[in-house]
Amino acid sequence: MRHTYRFLGFIAASLLMAAGISFAGDQCLTCHTNIVGDKPAELFQHDIHASKGISCADCHGGNPKMEEMEMAMDPKAGYKGVPKGDAISEACATCHSDAERMKRYGSKLPVNQWSNLQTSAHGTLSTTGKEHIAQCITCHNAHGIVSVKNPTSPVYPLNVVKTCTKCHSNASFMRTYNPSLPIDQGEKYKTSVHGVRNGKGDPKPAVCSSCHGSHDIRTSKDAKSSVYAINLPGTCSKCHSDARYMKEYKIPTNQYEKYSTSVHGVALLQKHDVGAPACNSCHGNHGATPPGVESVSKVCGTCHALNADLFSSSPHKKAFDDRKLPECETCHSNHGIVAATDRLIGVTSEAVCSRCHHENENPKGYAVAKSMRLMVDSLAMNDSIATALVNDAEQKGMEVTEAKFRLRDSRQAHLQMRTMVHSFNEGKFREVVDKGRDAASFAKGEAQGAIDEYYFRRIGLGISTLIMSMLAIALFVYIKRIEKKQEEQA
Amino acid sequence: MKPTLQKLYAWVDERLELGDLIKFMAKKYVPVHRHSIWYYFGGVSLFLFIIQVITGILLLMYYKGSEELAFESIQFIMSKVAFGWLIRSLHSWTANLFILTTMIHMFSVFFERAYRKPREMTWLSGMLMLFLLLGFGFTGYLLPWNELAFFATKVGTEITGVVPIVGKPILQFMRGGDDVTGATLSRLFGFHVAVLPGIFTVLLGAHLLFVNRQGMSEPLHYADTPEKERKTMPFFPNFLLRDMLFWLLVLNVLAILAVFFPWELGTKADPFASAPEGIKPEWYFLFMFQTLKYIPAKVWIIDGEVLGVLTFGLAGFLWMMVPFWDRKSSRGEHNRYINYIGLFVVMYILLFTIIGWLA
Repeated sequence: MRHTYRFLGFIAASLLMAAGISFAGDQCLTCHTNIVGDKPAELFQHDIHASKGISCADCHGGNPKMEEMEMAMDPKAGYKGVPKGDAISEACATCHSDAERMKRYGSKLPVNQWSNLQTSAHGTLSTTGKEHIAQCITCHNAHGIVSVKNPTSPVYPLNVVKTCTKCHSNASFMRTYNPSLPIDQGEKYKTSVHGVRNGKGDPKPAVCSSCHGSHDIRTSKDAKSSVYAINLPGTCSKCHSDARYMKEYKIPTNQYEKYSTSVHGVALLQKHDVGAPACNSCHGNHGATPPGVESVSKVCGTCHALNADLFSSSPHKKAFDDRKLPECETCHSNHGIVAATDRLIGVTSEAVCSRCHHENENPKGYAVAKSMRLMVDSLAMNDSIATALVNDAEQKGMEVTEAKFRLRDSRQAHLQMRTMVHSFNEGKFREVVDKGRDAASFAKGEAQGAIDEYYFRRIGLGISTLIMSMLAIALFVYIKRIEKKQEEQA
Repeated sequence: MKPTLQKLYAWVDERLELGDLIKFMAKKYVPVHRHSIWYYFGGVSLFLFIIQVITGILLLMYYKGSEELAFESIQFIMSKVAFGWLIRSLHSWTANLFILTTMIHMFSVFFERAYRKPREMTWLSGMLMLFLLLGFGFTGYLLPWNELAFFATKVGTEITGVVPIVGKPILQFMRGGDDVTGATLSRLFGFHVAVLPGIFTVLLGAHLLFVNRQGMSEPLHYADTPEKERKTMPFFPNFLLRDMLFWLLVLNVLAILAVFFPWELGTKADPFASAPEGIKPEWYFLFMFQTLKYIPAKVWIIDGEVLGVLTFGLAGFLWMMVPFWDRKSSRGEHNRYINYIGLFVVMYILLFTIIGWLA
């Protein structure tokens, strides 16, 4: 026990000595702490910079060795006073953008914060037009700065949301920059899974900077932004695909893997269709949470509105609700949704209908599913024959614009049919299929007519060439005969 | 059957005195020599003109000369009208063959010096008809109102606009405004089916009348050839029947082209779309178009394009005036410079057309 006290005494003495060494000769602190007693001086004593031996004069200029205030704060001695506007961040950047200097302080921090900030959304000019919207101190404070890992830091994960919402939840402030930007991100965040956990003191769930970045924050419309539609799934997957990081939350980590091969993922990530849904389209962004069983169809229905409406008024709605089955997900799955093909309909092993509708247990549903599949196949076959004929006619150089136009109607009906299947009404389904079959039959007729015409032209040409050749030969013989006669007469 | 035909002939002859006409034609003789083949190109051009008139009238029955309906009406002709595809393809192919045979005819007349006194007016009327033919080609090209025609007309009319003083008013007049629009289509349609055919028919009538009055031109060396050695053949029936034989062959070629290479319609013109790559005029304008591409933007103080257009204008004028400056040929003397000039022009046109085609 006595050894312990001795050890603690040694540590305390060492710290006092270190502080003494650090501040030895720094008249700024001496006066501002003991005589003026101001807050910045007090805060600075606990600042990470103070612990690294950085003095007030390193940012404010002047001569800290002079006891006389006039001499210590003489502009001729380099005194700058309190920096304003961009001068604040430039003062920070003097060290933080200088790799050599940062290395001397034993720092492993990146040195591109200031350049990132300048090109970020916060780097645009403020309403005064004289400075950037945000400076380093806006988030990190001016004095009393501590490491981001320190729970008292305003940029510590548990404090980040509060720091960001200082401005982003302030309607009158945000209106001056972007009146269309919502100010409820903080409120929504609190309702999200991330926010709830964060509120309970868990620093691991995502905070603002986890998705938006810190110094290089860009608007979501900027293709370089981490929350730009195409980049968003990757941003979410940084945590959600990290099995070790997510271990304690006991949720799957294969969502990104599934999503990237899904119809949505392929459209967004491979075809760069920014209209395709990303993670936030279904889960929400600031209020991110998995849609519940009862709300899946509403979430999917924001894009697939007609399908959702048809489903809601179909007999399946009640059946699904009774069995507590998630509506769309039951047949289409969630993250790994594949492109809906005709094979999903029917009673074959690949069809989703047969998962519930069995020939013996549910003969009515089974019969409807079977009939629908027959109709689908019939339309597909008609369409395929018509397409082949139209292509053949076109390849033969025939004019088949109208047939091609009607072929589009057939394909349109095919798409409508895939929507109409969600009504699970055989009669309505047949109407759409018949419309498509009529269009395909018309196209078939037109194309076949064009092909027949093609052969007719060739046969016609053959006959006319034969007639013309015979005429030409006859004419030639006649000319020769006349000329022979003329020669004989001469 | 034979007596019936004879009776019919006698009936017509009694009223129109065809016998006199036949006697008149039988008196006409066509010189026979190693270049006689070129005589047939005048006749075949006439034949192609007749095809153009017939097919043109047939197309007029269905064609609608407006921005909204032009393309669709041709589409209708090609797909719905009985033999519409044949008529349209024949009209398009014949137009091209017509220009080709007329050019061959013109160059053969040039190299044979057939333009020399007393046939200056025949040459002049022929040259004017050739210019009109190019006008037919230019005005007819836009009528389907497809993408290619739209932009080619845009470029073509722009070139006209560079001519000093009169260029801009002509451009405005042709386009019916600042840009190629439905108004341009209406104007060019009017020119194609009314103005140009009217003038052309008058010139053709005069041309045929001159040929009839003066007969076929004899080659220069005939002047030194004894009368007995000058081979000839009667225009009727020998030459006319041979002409008809050639026409039959040309008609067959046209039928083959129409069946195997039906004239494409392309896509409908969209004035707001950007011009497709590689816009080129029809082959008969290609050598001029390609030349304009090679002329620098500025030659001394003159704009390159203006210089090009003016040079072609001047060259065309001099070419047309050859009977008046080639006095040597008119005196019956051999002028070898005419051969050099002619060969240079033929080579130039061929070379630049090929380069333009490949470019």
